[in-house]
Amino acid sequence: MKIKSVKLREAHKGSANASFCSILWDLHAHHLVTASSSEPSISIHDPLLPSNPPRVLRHHRDGVTALALSPNSTCLASGSIDHSVKLYKFPGGEFETNITRFTLPIRALAFNKSGSMLAAAGDDEGIKLINTIDGSIARVLKGHRGPVTGLAFDPNGEYLASIDSIGTVIYWELQSGRTLYTLKGVAPDTGSDTSILNVLSWSPDGETLAVPGLKNDIVMYDRDTAEKLFTLRGDHTQHICFMSWSPNGKYIATSSLDKQILIWDVNRKQDIDRQKFDDRICCMAWKPVGNALAVIDVMGKYGVWESVVPSSMKSPTEDIPSSRSKNSNGLLFFDEEDEEDQELSMSGSLSDLGEDSHGESEPPSRKRLRKQPVIDDDQHEDVYNELSSCTKTESRKKVHRINKESSDKERDGSRSMMTYRPKMQEAFQPGSTPPLPGKRNFLCYNMLGSITTIKHDEYSHIEIDFHDTSTGPRVPPMTDHYGFTMASLNENGSVFANPCKGEKNMSTLMYRPFSSWANNSEWYMRFEGEEVKAIALGGTWVAAVTSLNFLRIYMDGGLQKHILSLNGPVVTAAGFKDELAIVTHVSDCLPSNEQMLEFRIFNISKGTQPFKGRLPLTPGSYLTWFGFTEEGQLSSYDSKGVLRVFTSQYGGNWLPLFSAIKERKSGENYWVVGLNASKLFCIVCKNPDSFPQVHPKPVLTLLNLSFPLASSDLGEEALENEFMLNNLHLSQIQKRIEVMTDEGLDTTSLDDEAFDIEAAQDRCIFRLIASCCNGDKLVRATELVKLLSVEKSVRGAIQLATALKLPILAERFNNILEERLQSKTEVLKTSLPRSNHDRNVKTDVAASMALPATERSEISEPTLSTSSAKLSAPLLIKKVKSSDRVKFGKPKTDGDQTACLEDSREVKDAGKNAGPSQVNSVKEVKNLQTQRPSNPFLKLPNNQEEKKVEEVMPESQSQGPSNPFFKSSNKVGEATGVQQSHRPSNPFLKSRAQ
Amino acid sequence: MAGQSDPHISLFSAEEVEFMAEDELIEIVPNMRMDPLNFICGDFGPFLPQIATPVPLWLAVALKKRGKCAIRPPLWMSVEKLTQVLEGERDSQGAFQALPFHYVEISRLLFDHARDDIPDMYMVRSLIEDIRDVRVHKVETSLEKFSGTSAVKIPNLSAMEVNIIRPFVGRALQAFYKHDNPEKIPDVDRASSGQTRVANNEPRRPLRR
Repeated sequence: MKIKSVKLREAHKGSANASFCSILWDLHAHHLVTASSSEPSISIHDPLLPSNPPRVLRHHRDGVTALALSPNSTCLASGSIDHSVKLYKFPGGEFETNITRFTLPIRALAFNKSGSMLAAAGDDEGIKLINTIDGSIARVLKGHRGPVTGLAFDPNGEYLASIDSIGTVIYWELQSGRTLYTLKGVAPDTGSDTSILNVLSWSPDGETLAVPGLKNDIVMYDRDTAEKLFTLRGDHTQHICFMSWSPNGKYIATSSLDKQILIWDVNRKQDIDRQKFDDRICCMAWKPVGNALAVIDVMGKYGVWESVVPSSMKSPTEDIPSSRSKNSNGLLFFDEEDEEDQELSMSGSLSDLGEDSHGESEPPSRKRLRKQPVIDDDQHEDVYNELSSCTKTESRKKVHRINKESSDKERDGSRSMMTYRPKMQEAFQPGSTPPLPGKRNFLCYNMLGSITTIKHDEYSHIEIDFHDTSTGPRVPPMTDHYGFTMASLNENGSVFANPCKGEKNMSTLMYRPFSSWANNSEWYMRFEGEEVKAIALGGTWVAAVTSLNFLRIYMDGGLQKHILSLNGPVVTAAGFKDELAIVTHVSDCLPSNEQMLEFRIFNISKGTQPFKGRLPLTPGSYLTWFGFTEEGQLSSYDSKGVLRVFTSQYGGNWLPLFSAIKERKSGENYWVVGLNASKLFCIVCKNPDSFPQVHPKPVLTLLNLSFPLASSDLGEEALENEFMLNNLHLSQIQKRIEVMTDEGLDTTSLDDEAFDIEAAQDRCIFRLIASCCNGDKLVRATELVKLLSVEKSVRGAIQLATALKLPILAERFNNILEERLQSKTEVLKTSLPRSNHDRNVKTDVAASMALPATERSEISEPTLSTSSAKLSAPLLIKKVKSSDRVKFGKPKTDGDQTACLEDSREVKDAGKNAGPSQVNSVKEVKNLQTQRPSNPFLKLPNNQEEKKVEEVMPESQSQGPSNPFFKSSNKVGEATGVQQSHRPSNPFLKSRAQ
Repeated sequence: MAGQSDPHISLFSAEEVEFMAEDELIEIVPNMRMDPLNFICGDFGPFLPQIATPVPLWLAVALKKRGKCAIRPPLWMSVEKLTQVLEGERDSQGAFQALPFHYVEISRLLFDHARDDIPDMYMVRSLIEDIRDVRVHKVETSLEKFSGTSAVKIPNLSAMEVNIIRPFVGRALQAFYKHDNPEKIPDVDRASSGQTRVANNEPRRPLRR
């Protein structure tokens, strides 16, 4: 049968023993308000994000016994054991006024239909009718002999019904304040137990009044005559203690002292569903939209029972009587049906796996009333079966995904509350965790350090810690009177901001440098009428995005530099050196719950915007982390665990580089902190936690980046992944080299890095070729061979193919090599028509190649087994040769890296350039020495400095895949009037002229 | 270590056993940045702040003393795990629960040097002491039943426990052997027992720490 249970999560603690608790929905079901008579606080929960701690209102001095929300949900009233009734703004929760006081505890509150009047009653003898506008007491209704425990305004505004603890119900006429009817002893006498309050409730159309009866039933009384109409009597074994009409009045939920909730179809006078709980449910509230019932038990634990009414029946919010519907948002009902299905599967699957959640209620007994017609029964049975089967299969499938998604939202995994109405995600700071009462939380956690805060009564205490305690600055902890909720941290300083709280507390931005030559260099900015939503910190600037969609950029000294308007509400912002990246909403999210986000990158120092575009997210997820890699690549992480890195490939795209679903070991969530080129740094959180606590200090875990590759028939995902990663890194480095070359900076170290990666890439490709050969994927092998950057590797591949007895493949490889050499010579010939080509070519397979006779002659002394194809000026070659040979002994040991070097066949155009460039060449050599002292080849020119060394280059950069980077050599360029580039680290570039 | 005791008697002082235990690997969370260290026993590191890395215990303790790292207590040193082990020890009379060979020494070193890194330190400490007591008691009772064999096999015994019973068991086995074959090796027994006694009584120079 259907597995469905409601999980409860704790809202109010202090209740060691049973105490009356209250729960309310607001009009649009965006908030859930709870209170307990054992605790002075009122909690406003966000049912969409139950993991977010509730907003807590602590204004009462004693337990809160009654709550009421005005019909338009703008005003919240609370009554307490401390004898006071207070009003708050809603949903903000700002305290407005103490609207009245009693001499004894309050027990019941109710707003009238228009919200203009509040009725309050309790252990005092009178019911006060209070004008909510000015707080004046319009009337005091006296007549009850016991404490009044329940009040209900008639929806049509004529009557007030009240009930007391000894079971007397009184109808009052509001206009005159007269008692219309007094029904004595119709409800159970609850005695002195204040955790049980007799309640009563008008049906939404106002035609009937429901009152708990003496026979464990509910008795319906007529509106005008107060005659008993009918009773709902079923399987409650004890008195009913609470009831709630569904918004359309078709159903009523009742809870009883026997800890059950029954849902009744009022027209058929039958119960349609039930649920048993661990504790007595003392308050319930139907969700104003959708099909759900919020419940709270006497221990202060609340939950939402989703899909209360079977989908075969009318939704409890369908056909709401007209008197009500004008207050509701009609739009909401439109997509309610679809969402309900979603809701159903979601809650089902969650309950399946939520063994760890507390307060699980027993599965409902689905026994049906015997008197129900058989046909009807079967029909329902079917529906239930269908539902349950779909729920089960879905849940098995989606268990991980859903769990993950929802566990992000609800920390204790206790309860799926809705999601139904897709919501635009709120602004967040990367690396922050939600505040927890009484605990420290992170305002910022990055690869450098962390900023934590803990809230005390009047102020917060902020600490800044660097992971690297030996080099990071020591920052004294600070006391924060602003209540900062956002922070960002880098080597130079930290920036804080707080949202505005009420009118007195303006939103403030504070920058605090860690070291400065001047005293007092921290600064504050106050924002009137706007609120900081996100902040970011860069090399020399601070950025704040505000609720007016302004991007404000400050220098780190506090100078207000720029104010830009953004396109939409901000989601988050991140800074890295000169670059600022901002994510904004483009539009409301799609009904399929997809956030529509856009990102922009700004270069603050240049004042440019290099990129902007849509920010991709996994469908149905939201952004959870946003930042830069250690190399400065923009990256994002979404709630479904997909990490994306922005590359300029294909004109700027996001590459998925990690997927938690592939990586995930069961029961782990990854909280991303940062990443570098090959590793993701994250904090592993055990389910159901989705973010780390400050204590114990979290430890970073390194995860390998990996493309979400499809599993290929080759079975070499690891190698293929490495292949793609290497490609990515190469392209990133190329990009950076281009940028640096444009700026005229030295790219030597990047060149070296590129060589290393190229060498690694060749090794990787080589292994892939081997496994392709073994797996009989010959076409793929030839594709791979074409990608090899070093000629030596191609030769190795030929040998491999020969060794594996694949002559056809070896033949193809040979052709590829030949083509490659030919195209190279062609390039050289066309670009340098007058040059002579002298080559030392490999001794092995290359012999089969068609090479010019002159080249052959040069091979006459194949002293090197490494392939060093070399073109050098004929004038020099003889002199240099002897020393070359000696030096070449070393590079062999350098393996692939030097293979790269050797491979780049360069041409010397001695005849043309020798004269003018001679002058400069020695200087060039000296430069080279300082740049790459480790290069063994440098000894060559070093020892022979008296020889004039000359740098000559092929004119075109299109040398071939192996040598994509050139540094332009301005000196030679000037001299020859030709743009020439060269590779400073390559010894073969140098020819000697005397 | 070799200079500390006679190599012919395989009996070590507690310090020596501890010294050996210091080669066990343990995870630390450094709070500084340092290049990999190349030792004879292997390469350790690189050390990056807040990223756990395994190192030998002696290095962990050395770094901890300088405030350069936090030590992550091994998994078995958690209250739940130890409670399980203790229950297991109490339940089964004969068998020993699987604990690291050097559990006594490791826990001792951590209690001495990394108090702040062990959650529920007092609980953990008392649990380990309990476990040790139970096990030692078990060893003693099982040795009472020990009858004429040429070897004794007790799985999962730890270094410290072996170290305690080794002289006795060795001599006892020798004695059994001698009684079984009285003509064979009277000398060995006398020699080894004599040496053992000497080794026991001789005041030892404590290891430098």
